[in-house]
Amino acid sequence: MLIINCPYCGPRDQSEFSNGGEAHVKRPDGSKEIGDREWGEYVFIRANPKGLFYERWVHTHGCRKWFNCVRDTSTDEILVTYKLDEKKPNLNNFKSVVKTPSGEPEVGSGNFTVEK
Amino acid sequence: MKSINLKENQFIQFHQKISFKFDGVKYFGYKGDTIASALLRNNINLVGRSFKYHRPRGIYTCGIEEPNALVQIISEYSEPNTRATIKKIYEGMEIESQNRWPSLENDFGSINNLFSPIFTAGFYYKTFMGPHKKFWKNLYEPLIRRAAGLGKPPKDFKGISNHIHHNVDVTIIGGGLNGLLAAKSFINSNYDVLLIDFEEQLGGIINNSNKISLIDNTEPKNWLKETIQEIEDSKNIKILKNTLVTTYNYINHLIAIEDRFVGSKPIEGKVNSTLHKIRTGHTILCNGHIERFLSFQNNDLPGIMLSSSFEKYMCRYGLAPSKEPVIFSNNSNSNSLVYSLIKAGLKPKAYIDSRSGEEIEPNLFDLIRKNDVPLYTNSQIKGAFGNKKIEKILVEDSSGALNEIKCDCLCLSGGINPDVHLFTQSKGLLDWDEKDLTYKPSKPFQPTITLGSASGQFNFDNLNSDINEKLKTFKVKKLDVKLELNTNTKYNIEKLWEVSPQKKSLWAKSFIDLQNDVTTKDIRQAITEGFDRIEHLKRYTTNSMGTDQGKISSINALGIVSDLLDKKVNEVGTTIYRPPYAPLSFSAIAGRNCYEFYDPERKSPIHSWHLKNGAIFEDVGQWKRPWYFQINKDESMHDAVQRESKNVRENAGILDGSTLGKIEIKGEDALEFMNLIYTNSFTKMKQGSARYALMLGEDGMVKDDGIICKISDQHFIATTTTGGAATVLGCMEEYAQTEWPNLKVFMNSITEQYATFNISGPNTREIMKKAFPNINFSNEEFPFMTFQFHEFNGVPIRILRASFTGELGYEIYIPSNSALKIWDNIQSLGKEFGLAPYGTEAMHLLRAEKGYIIVGQDTDGSITPIDLGLSWMIGKSKKDFLGKRSLTRSDTIREDRKQLVGIIPSNKADKLEEGQHIILDKEIKSPIPMLGHITSCYYSSTLGHDFALAVIKNGHSMIGTKAYASTSSMSTTGVDIVKPVFYDEDNKRLVS
Ligand SMILES: [Zn+2]
Repeated sequence: MLIINCPYCGPRDQSEFSNGGEAHVKRPDGSKEIGDREWGEYVFIRANPKGLFYERWVHTHGCRKWFNCVRDTSTDEILVTYKLDEKKPNLNNFKSVVKTPSGEPEVGSGNFTVEK
Repeated sequence: MKSINLKENQFIQFHQKISFKFDGVKYFGYKGDTIASALLRNNINLVGRSFKYHRPRGIYTCGIEEPNALVQIISEYSEPNTRATIKKIYEGMEIESQNRWPSLENDFGSINNLFSPIFTAGFYYKTFMGPHKKFWKNLYEPLIRRAAGLGKPPKDFKGISNHIHHNVDVTIIGGGLNGLLAAKSFINSNYDVLLIDFEEQLGGIINNSNKISLIDNTEPKNWLKETIQEIEDSKNIKILKNTLVTTYNYINHLIAIEDRFVGSKPIEGKVNSTLHKIRTGHTILCNGHIERFLSFQNNDLPGIMLSSSFEKYMCRYGLAPSKEPVIFSNNSNSNSLVYSLIKAGLKPKAYIDSRSGEEIEPNLFDLIRKNDVPLYTNSQIKGAFGNKKIEKILVEDSSGALNEIKCDCLCLSGGINPDVHLFTQSKGLLDWDEKDLTYKPSKPFQPTITLGSASGQFNFDNLNSDINEKLKTFKVKKLDVKLELNTNTKYNIEKLWEVSPQKKSLWAKSFIDLQNDVTTKDIRQAITEGFDRIEHLKRYTTNSMGTDQGKISSINALGIVSDLLDKKVNEVGTTIYRPPYAPLSFSAIAGRNCYEFYDPERKSPIHSWHLKNGAIFEDVGQWKRPWYFQINKDESMHDAVQRESKNVRENAGILDGSTLGKIEIKGEDALEFMNLIYTNSFTKMKQGSARYALMLGEDGMVKDDGIICKISDQHFIATTTTGGAATVLGCMEEYAQTEWPNLKVFMNSITEQYATFNISGPNTREIMKKAFPNINFSNEEFPFMTFQFHEFNGVPIRILRASFTGELGYEIYIPSNSALKIWDNIQSLGKEFGLAPYGTEAMHLLRAEKGYIIVGQDTDGSITPIDLGLSWMIGKSKKDFLGKRSLTRSDTIREDRKQLVGIIPSNKADKLEEGQHIILDKEIKSPIPMLGHITSCYYSSTLGHDFALAVIKNGHSMIGTKAYASTSSMSTTGVDIVKPVFYDEDNKRLVS
């Protein structure tokens, strides 16, 4: 169970929140011509990295505000949360604090009990 | 095995007798006894039959690690798989042994032991996958189903569990010597501390063994009493007893289960367990160690027990399970058992050690010699033999000669392991200790501290410095405890995993997992077959996959595998220890979220009236909605629905529509926002008018529909489907915040604030006039798709002229608190006009006759407005709205998409069914192209036949042609594809 720090309410239990997928995906401007590829990527394509990930969450059972965060998908740790109108943090800031449980491979499970 | 009672102690008082039943026979134990200690007191050691081979099994341990002694507690809803070594007895307790038929002594399933050569590693996989499918179905499956397994499922389970949340700075798991010392350091500090112990009494090793003789120059028992008192008096420390930490999640989140009825029968209706959910800053693991066993032929015979468990029975329960056990060890941990036996005036029948005489501790040597205990050094047990109990063992001594020793009990020690289960759950890493031959915690992943034997410190020399060093960050009091030991030894162990069998026979078994009946031969076979990765091997052999997760044996398996593969144990690795540490019941996990609290029931303000008037309810999301109303008990659903719908067409009907989602949208930019959310354009819409609207996903598929009332450009009220209300509000909020934060707009749910009555039918206007005499309901004053605000008897109401039935209709919105009164009033006024309530089923029938869709029934997330023939609802001049661009994707403009059509049987007497496939051929010959399927289907007494809505490929251009509907009996029904409108196509009745 995660603790998520809502930028409006403070740290709360994960059960109060809902995940909203990748953050900083820009919706194409409807007043301009949008190509099939551009629109298709907006609707259907999302990144799914192992490691640091910009992500959207909403405090569903709380203030109902949407906000962004940086989450490490391999440890589930949420490193920072920030309001929608705030600048997205540079991922390099977190490179040194990222901890992985056990000699994580680049892809795949890191479910080891002994150091590899 | 003949046991004797020793001296009383603070845990067991011999004057407090308790009676209980085991397999129907009455026995006596004492208050404080576990089922296991009570059974041993009565010289019962055969307590169950094994999982696969139905071999007789006894009590192997004295704690949570027990693999064998699992019993069914008949007096507690027949709770199965209860560890007899933990569960305390109480007066009148009824216990049954498991996995045997007809009786424990004469078990038919033990015939499996004869078949055992076929039940080897991978048996299930090979049988499933192999060519002998017939064998599986006719022989193996029935055999296995009857014979395999643990206890039977509980009956009429009524356990209640509470959940409690904690938020603390430090959690200490384990209240043994190290846990108590750690807690002592935190006394009166500024930290909130939880001290959790699985037992009723704190003390761990102090209570369970005679290892320690003095603490700070006082008797350990007295020291314990004082220390516990100090900890209890400290305001910042809370102690949870009888509480087992089962789970160590990310971010120091722990789950622990507390048994609220230790030593007494759970009272029905009372909370019998508490699930503690603990969020902690630091976790200090002081959960000790577990002794492991050794593998040799028949190492599962009743009468074989771990040596530290034997000692625990002596120290904790005042009971020696046998007067003269044989001890077999490869390490120094069993020294204290020898000491305890002699202290109690007993002595081992023999002491057998695989180590050489030089390696054996001098103290032990002296003790054994002084008391004339037969000593075998450099020796191994080749096998244990006996009928349902151990009778003799064969010992190979240092000269290689075989010695037979008669005995009724054998105590084993294969070494000790830190209990690393929770540590690895926390994602901490282990490292193999070549000297102590066990995995020890090395790198914590979370703020986790391990102390004492849980950290792999099997000696007491560094007790103070280790605790002081590891708790340094907390800046708490430094400890200086003086410890004196009875058996002053350093932990010493010699490698021994398995003794080679004396006789090589197909039936000779040396077990590596007692609960799952895995033998060392199975491990060998699995490796020969290529399952040499430890995770594969575990699944192939089912080693350590029982409810005990191989607590006393999994390390032995790793040792055997590493020897076979000639690899270091660190390279072999361990399988992952997964939560929970020990099984916990579903009822504990569910807590209060069960029965009526599982999912909230939502009821409309009219619910009480429905109950009194014969409503049969349907669940729509969380809502209870009247499905139909029974005028008498004999009326069938079909008759009720036809009566209700006919009455709407001929007179008038009233539906409780309060469950419809209602959202109020306000703000300077509300108009622009609504134009972006819905497909329709609201710009030219007049104030006070309403519009049927569609909401799409960004993929262009219909997500929800509803009626939008425009009060002004800055104020709208939208209705949603009953099930979609929360999603639609969530979607509006999301887009308002994330995509269009520049728009000044606010929205709120008003679903529960207003009740809604849908009145429709030709007589409706007369009823409305009578109910609301001050309002002009003429077509000119109150046209179709307009709404008006009024006040009625001081209650503000809104009336919308709209209809979902195709008849003249009005929707009345009333504040919920005043709704029932007005509903009652309309009921009585409406009688003379034939007004009758109708339910959701009649509503569905009526709307289908008009071809009105239900989102989620006639659409399934792959249907666009164009597919539904609702292109007119798309505001083409609008630059943008949700999903607009998707409506011109190559896939959405395909002509052969599935489109909404009407279906009627060519022969009007034929029946149709929801879900039927529409095909072109009369004969079904597979493969056959399927055009689509029927989404809604009803019998209409207005039409006099069945009719249906369907989505079929290229449907719009197929209108006017014939096709077939497949039936479940592989035949077909001829159907006509028609426009999806069956009644009053030009809407004369709607606007009448
Ligand atoms: Zn919040």
